[in-house]
Amino acid sequence: MPFADLVVGTLLYGALLGVIYGIATAGLSLIFGVLKIVNVGHGAFMMIGAYTTYWFFTLYGLNPVLSLPFSLAIGALLGLAFYYPVVRRVIDAPEMASLLATFAMGLLLQEAARMAWTSDYRGFSWEVARLEIGGVSIYASKLIAAGLALLLLLFHYVVFYRTKLGLAIRAVVQDREGALVVGINVDRIYALSFSIGIAITVASGSLLAIYNPVGINPYMGAILTLKAFVIAVMGGLGSIGGAFIAGVLFGLFENVSYVVLTGIEGVQPLVLTRFIAFTLLLVILLVRPKGLFGR
Amino acid sequence: MKSISTTLVAVVVLVVIVAAIAAVFLMRAPGGQEGAGEEKIVIGMPISLTGKYSVEGEMSLIGALAVIEWINEQGGVKVGGKTYMFDLKYYDDESNPDRVISLTERLITQDKVDFLISPYSSGLTFKAAPIADKNGVLMIAQGAASDKIFQQGYQYVVQVYTPGSRYLTSALDFVKATDPNAKKVAIIYKENEFSRTVAEGARKYAEQLGFQVVFYKSYPADVSDLTPILQELAASQPDIIIGGGHFQDGQLLAKQLAELNINAKLVSILVAPALPKFYEALGSLADGITYPAQWEMGVKYSPDKVPEGYEWYGPTIDEFLKYFTSVAESRFQKQGLKPSYHAAGGGAAVLMLAKALEMAGTTDTDAVRKAMNNLQIQTFFGKLKIDPETGLQIGHDMILGQWQSGSKVIIWPPEAANAEPIYPLPPWSEKG
Amino acid sequence: MVFTNAVRRALRKARLTLAAYIILGVLYLAFPHYSQLIATLMFYMILAQAFNIFMGMTGYIDFGYVAFVAMGAYGMALAVESLYELGWASIIVGFLLAVALSVALASMVGAIALRLRGAYFAIATIGVNEGVRYLIEGANLVGGSEGVIIVRELRATFGRETANFIMTGLADLALLLIGITAVMITALILSTRVGYALQAIREDEDAARALGINVTRYKVMAFTISAGIGGLLGAANWALKGGYVEPAHVFNIHYTVEAIVMVMLGGPGTLLGPIIGGLFYGSMNYFLGVIKPGLQLLFLAPILLAVVVALPKGLMGYVRERVKDPRLRELLT
Repeated sequence: MPFADLVVGTLLYGALLGVIYGIATAGLSLIFGVLKIVNVGHGAFMMIGAYTTYWFFTLYGLNPVLSLPFSLAIGALLGLAFYYPVVRRVIDAPEMASLLATFAMGLLLQEAARMAWTSDYRGFSWEVARLEIGGVSIYASKLIAAGLALLLLLFHYVVFYRTKLGLAIRAVVQDREGALVVGINVDRIYALSFSIGIAITVASGSLLAIYNPVGINPYMGAILTLKAFVIAVMGGLGSIGGAFIAGVLFGLFENVSYVVLTGIEGVQPLVLTRFIAFTLLLVILLVRPKGLFGR
Repeated sequence: MKSISTTLVAVVVLVVIVAAIAAVFLMRAPGGQEGAGEEKIVIGMPISLTGKYSVEGEMSLIGALAVIEWINEQGGVKVGGKTYMFDLKYYDDESNPDRVISLTERLITQDKVDFLISPYSSGLTFKAAPIADKNGVLMIAQGAASDKIFQQGYQYVVQVYTPGSRYLTSALDFVKATDPNAKKVAIIYKENEFSRTVAEGARKYAEQLGFQVVFYKSYPADVSDLTPILQELAASQPDIIIGGGHFQDGQLLAKQLAELNINAKLVSILVAPALPKFYEALGSLADGITYPAQWEMGVKYSPDKVPEGYEWYGPTIDEFLKYFTSVAESRFQKQGLKPSYHAAGGGAAVLMLAKALEMAGTTDTDAVRKAMNNLQIQTFFGKLKIDPETGLQIGHDMILGQWQSGSKVIIWPPEAANAEPIYPLPPWSEKG
Repeated sequence: MVFTNAVRRALRKARLTLAAYIILGVLYLAFPHYSQLIATLMFYMILAQAFNIFMGMTGYIDFGYVAFVAMGAYGMALAVESLYELGWASIIVGFLLAVALSVALASMVGAIALRLRGAYFAIATIGVNEGVRYLIEGANLVGGSEGVIIVRELRATFGRETANFIMTGLADLALLLIGITAVMITALILSTRVGYALQAIREDEDAARALGINVTRYKVMAFTISAGIGGLLGAANWALKGGYVEPAHVFNIHYTVEAIVMVMLGGPGTLLGPIIGGLFYGSMNYFLGVIKPGLQLLFLAPILLAVVVALPKGLMGYVRERVKDPRLRELLT
């Protein structure tokens, strides 16, 4: 295979996966930006999204793209269901209280999913075309997933910058006391932000399932949480655009470094790309301690 | 108001905590049913019902319980003129090595089990082995395919599974016998202890058989895109692609081979294709994909056809299926569950123990361990025989399974096969 | 003189905590049936304590903490693997190497990550943990993904009986000693200037710096001490006791999350808190797992949620707020 094809393939797949990473991190970033809570259970919410798409497809034959509104709705409801009894009470507590709370939330979802759906590794076959791009073969579903991710990001952007709600959220982020004074119901803003953040997270789980419709299981969340953390920090916590760009960078970097590493004798290049990606994180933080786009 | 409710919750929580800690020290395990005065042999099994090994763990537990039920309904095991019933006690180890240590000890010292069946996976069995060995309790290692456990000098650990180094040999034997023109082998595996042992074993064996290993690389755990490594693999233009690791990556590997349109005459993937969910996940793409298995539902091992030097022991395959289904439905609320090779392996562990007990004529551990050395049986799981020095399984053979139109069939070895192989694998583009 | 005074004060502070370990030690001998349960509980308690020395006192959350425990496990495993012919000396070297490796990694990480704040710090440390793991696996260092197994070496050198004793008795004794060391170090920190400085950093790092506190020095100090104890823990519990050090296990971030949970349950920055948290979490999980195999985590999650909602400052935080008697309060630090 010519070297050029190798590069085209890795770039294409890297960028598409990066877009998915980006949207998968946006919800985490939003919740941190507004509530200052690191959601340790992040991946478990994505897992719920992946199952949503899987079940709607397997049981009702619903086009995976159309499961997205359901994921958003389920996510929004889950967000509210966790906000009022739990999250609300730990916002002002020390950071560790919120870590413990979100950890327990994730554990609850994971175990509930296992009880309801067993720990089988599931997947589905959504028959779509396979395309040839620059000599590289790829499923159209991956492009669709990435396109939807961009759409979701746009939606997110519109809510944030073009609506009254977005204005109020930004006001709370900037100056909570000030927002209270001008009559913003801060508690409600928190509730809505958490709910939107979880909705986007669950939806990103659906997109991941469209992108890679295999390996869906209750424990898939752990690695997703880890990657989202790294990408969120790389981009600058609370910066949604930053999360997105960092996601794409991370995806690209992982794949591109393979091409370089494969020339080295005696190492496992794809395993080492992980090492390289995490080193990149440290280097970025050394140069910019608040991430690429953090303030 | 709020402070009162908070105080109340706090008090309740404190009480629960104190009660829980006290209870840990006072509670006794809920064991099996107490029989009316009959003699019992109790087997202990720390097993993963949650965590990453829960699928295989539950399978092997149900398999072991099924065989125990069969034995008890046959009237138990005759040991030196006395008849014993089997009983099994188990705990969930959460796929967590630290948990295995304390649960194994609990089974031995508190529940006073007479013998142990290992947890699923080599990693967890490694943690249970020193506890079993210290207490001089014989442990039948099922679900642990590592060769290395048996190089540590443990006297009380014996193996059921064909060790990892021989996992992919059946695929290579099959190709060697079927197609003299297939020469180039690509090996791609997940970077962990088990898959690496398998891959190394396969590479050695392939070279022995005169194949040319043109690609040999690994990918990390929890991988979400295999494009770069698969593109490089494709460039080596292999005739045969073998490897894999576990469920998630195995499904991804098959999916991406199809996506990138990488064709080979034979694709053989570890672990993942052996479970029915593989077909659900991949649909028709799964057809033609082969996998090494310790056992498969259609195998033709039967009492009528026992290899030289071996004797038949235990239930027939149909009997095993019957008991497996009844245990799965009545005790685990699983309707329509089909046994995987993990289930059969769990059952085979019980059979090895039962036969060794009969041969020893006593329940004394050392005598049973010694009898184990002379054990040479054919069961529904296949042949079983251990290396007396190390406890390594040397009798059992792997089979090669293949997905054909949504069903699993066996294509190798010829004495176990129940279908004609699909070979060479048709190109992905013909599968839609 | 100043130092002995500090030790005296620390001992007084640590009465209750030391008593907890000694009671566990006595229970271990009195109820050999429960010895491995007690050893597991001690593992959790020490993990929480060692983690608390840095996180509880400075407020920095080190998500990659388990990497230090892993370094310790590798230190011991490598020492035994290459020096097993020296017999007991190899185990002593193992503990030294364990501390050396984890402290070395801590100094490197400290130099980079300690300049970061809050979540940035927390997640940079995840990067270190994962980075080290995949370097070992990808470049095939020290056994690569297969890790290091030392059972054969132990059995070859010491014979079966002694090797079993090392893995199930000596390793547990080591755990007890490491636990007591961790208690004493925490108590010493709490009763000297170091403790006040760390507390000031936790409350407001910039203000602390303005007051002339050498912030970096104290942070690095707590960070390396915490890492060193973690290294000892890894050497005793994973290498000696388990006999097998496997990267997928020893770098599992789940252990860090468990440490956070335990510290949080008990109350961060206190002496007794992590021990209570460790005891509670460890025994609760074990207890639920024994009575309802497979369902324990489903039950544990709501319990954790109830605890965090009712007691956001941890169990010790709650109790201390309600105890008026100053002597009792001091006992409960």
